[in-house]
Amino acid sequence: MMKNKVDVAIIGGGIIGLYTAYELHKRGVDNIAIYEKNYLGSGSTFRCGTGIRQQFGDEANIRMMKRAVEKWTGLGEEINFPKFKMAQTGYLFLLYDEDEMSRFKKNVELQNSLGVPSRIISPEEAQEIVPTLDTSEVIGASWNPTDGKANPFLAVHGLARYLRENGVEINEYTEVRDVIVKGGAVDGIKTSRGEVKAEIVLNAANAWAKIINEKLGVNFPIEPYKHQGIVSEPFKKGEIKPMVISFRHGGAYLTQKANGGIIGGIALKYGPTWDLTPTYDFLREVAKNFTRIIPALKYITIIRQWAGYYAETPDHNAVIGKVKEIDGYYISAGFSGHGFMLAPAAAEGMADLITKGSTSLPLDFYDPYRFERGELREQAVQMG
Amino acid sequence: MRIEEHPVIDFTRRRGKKVTIYFEGKPIEAYEGEPIAEALHAAGIRVMNYAPKTGRARGLFCAIGKCSSCLMKVNGIPNVRTCITLVEDGMKVERQRGLEPLPRDYRPPKWKEAKRVEADIIIIGGGPAGLMAGAKAAEHGAKVALMDENPILGGQLVKQTHKFFGKREQFAGVRGIKIAEILEKDAREKGVDIYLETSAIGIFQDGDRKLVAAVRKNKELIEFVGKAVIVATGAMEKMIPFENNDLPGVYGAGAIQTLMNTYGIKPGKRVLIVGAGNVGVILAYQLIQAGVDVIAVVEAMPKVGAYFVHAAKIRRLGVPIYTRHTILRAEGKEKVERAVIAEIDDRWQPIPGTEKTYDVDIIALAVGLRPSIELLHQAGAQIVYVRELSGYVVRHDDRLETTVRGIFVAGDSSGIEEATTAMLEGKLAGLAAALFVGAADLRAIDEMKKVRQDIEEFRSGPFGERIRIGEEKVMIR
Repeated sequence: MMKNKVDVAIIGGGIIGLYTAYELHKRGVDNIAIYEKNYLGSGSTFRCGTGIRQQFGDEANIRMMKRAVEKWTGLGEEINFPKFKMAQTGYLFLLYDEDEMSRFKKNVELQNSLGVPSRIISPEEAQEIVPTLDTSEVIGASWNPTDGKANPFLAVHGLARYLRENGVEINEYTEVRDVIVKGGAVDGIKTSRGEVKAEIVLNAANAWAKIINEKLGVNFPIEPYKHQGIVSEPFKKGEIKPMVISFRHGGAYLTQKANGGIIGGIALKYGPTWDLTPTYDFLREVAKNFTRIIPALKYITIIRQWAGYYAETPDHNAVIGKVKEIDGYYISAGFSGHGFMLAPAAAEGMADLITKGSTSLPLDFYDPYRFERGELREQAVQMG
Repeated sequence: MRIEEHPVIDFTRRRGKKVTIYFEGKPIEAYEGEPIAEALHAAGIRVMNYAPKTGRARGLFCAIGKCSSCLMKVNGIPNVRTCITLVEDGMKVERQRGLEPLPRDYRPPKWKEAKRVEADIIIIGGGPAGLMAGAKAAEHGAKVALMDENPILGGQLVKQTHKFFGKREQFAGVRGIKIAEILEKDAREKGVDIYLETSAIGIFQDGDRKLVAAVRKNKELIEFVGKAVIVATGAMEKMIPFENNDLPGVYGAGAIQTLMNTYGIKPGKRVLIVGAGNVGVILAYQLIQAGVDVIAVVEAMPKVGAYFVHAAKIRRLGVPIYTRHTILRAEGKEKVERAVIAEIDDRWQPIPGTEKTYDVDIIALAVGLRPSIELLHQAGAQIVYVRELSGYVVRHDDRLETTVRGIFVAGDSSGIEEATTAMLEGKLAGLAAALFVGAADLRAIDEMKKVRQDIEEFRSGPFGERIRIGEEKVMIR
């Protein structure tokens, strides 16, 4: 039987909902429930590109991601699930002209000042890291060895197992249809399986967040855009260790997974739309651009293509914070393609906010009200 | 070992020019027009690769490009499906050892705009269903393009040396290999545009039309664009679990037919067949025709599933059929050397003390097929599991249109039956698609009625009962 009264009700069983539940539980909140309308991870987490990087161009995202990487690397041990490991195999941004070079030099300086060990390297060094790269037109690369990737299936599975063992209620196939508000404050939720009393409701529904917000008369600009990904047949492991990124080639990102296949995509997007049909244009452009970055990939077969949502905001930064209009209502959504990588830091910040009212992490940057004040952030680099 | 004399087929006339390929540096004689794996098999080479995780030896299994058990390195390129890649003079072939590194090749491919083929109807699969669909639709005025990933047309008909039953108009008394020739000739004469060695990689929506992306000879991208698509991708062999079932020499029945009936290569010397349905029993007869010893046929069911005439024929030739028996394990080092069978009880458990060991070099699995629905699934058609149709199949209406408008299905990919029903379904899908694209006139509707009657008639009686139940489960009314 589903509980009919909880302290914190979390809408959305993706990495944000699960990780936030985990952080809340660590802080002693013990009556937590997660509501997922499909199965855990099915919305965006299982469709993501798996990358985790600190190479951003603004202080807040760099600080958040630095904290996230610290947490990702320790997670497996913390939740007693050593199978989950972040692979710190680095992020390699290939640079092809002076414009790109000067932009990335500036970013590297900022990253270094915040303790991220990124640096600009030569084409030869880039080829040492990925020997199959075609560097004939590369003038350098921005490289950070402490970036990397992780398996979203294991992250979700490990967290869910830990949460269940520790009394957090996880309800799959349970859709939240409304949030009940009484006297300007949250009183509970209406689900497809009945009503639940709750003091605090967190909207962690990412692409679907606005559906619930609209019912409550609050409006943050989060829209679903269709992005796609591919995986290939496997080849010898270790051939493409880092996430390789090239803006020159359609905004391509690609890396080798633990089983030896590549995972990646390009920046081609459609939307706003709820349609998730994979497109031929994407497949063809992936083939064209990937083989220009690593020519030997022309011998490798793509075995799967799928689509998922980037829950995008106008400045491609998430919406994280307390919703002023309704006491007890919080939002952590609109991650614009960075939800998986940011999850540990976003969760820590949100859990602090709910339990203490404040956090040392720069959550102000993701202030839900920045849009109505016209204070858009500089667009976050949206790759991988 | 090549077959030089055969009662039905003259291979010496069929073989192409002699060429030389190099297996791990050693020259091997091969013939133009035959795939790499088949040529290696003729030279006695059975181990094609070593599996990535276990390091175990792997060989051919399906021989029609569906199972990936025959992957090898060809001219330095890993993961080549050698069972459907034709030999070329001077080709270098190596066993693949686990996962191979990327070739060190720093030349990006030259990107040409893809060849675009426009037609009313795009057909994927050139077996009995696809060829018949193509001919029918073309006859009714539709422009048809057809692709098949194999180097020859006819699908599995090209391996059927036996004569078909049934009605004269359904090719009764004609051998399968001959039917394949008739269907191909008919389709070509009616103007079906045919692309061989061309693998469909996806079906996409392109405005109000469908785009089938395909790759020819593993290098050329072709975009087929049409108003309707007929998927006639056939089936693939099933595998059953037993110890060492991955040893080279454990082959699908179809693979053995491909080796001996299509390419004239002896699969081995002594064979144990698992499964006494029509496929297993006909295979036994064909092996004997090719001069191979068939030691026994084992069948887990209490009764032989094959038609009486086929079973009687092999019994007369002295091949025992053991019902209520199963295979326990294969034995041998990197290749099949022995097979162990046993009787099973009412709970399908082996009865201790009933084991028999045979010295064989081939274990043929004739344990059924499953529909090849991958492209239909990718295209978003609704899939259901129907035991009676042997696996996952698509839902369709009585015109064989799936739940994706404009995508039709025909033949084994819509549920496992026989070549005869595949041809009838091909006709039906071809007619329905020709109507759908606006090419055919209303006479096609009358013809469809007739085809439906023929299908119903073929499925009537006790042999068709299972199919009738299955069809009921997938049919959208």
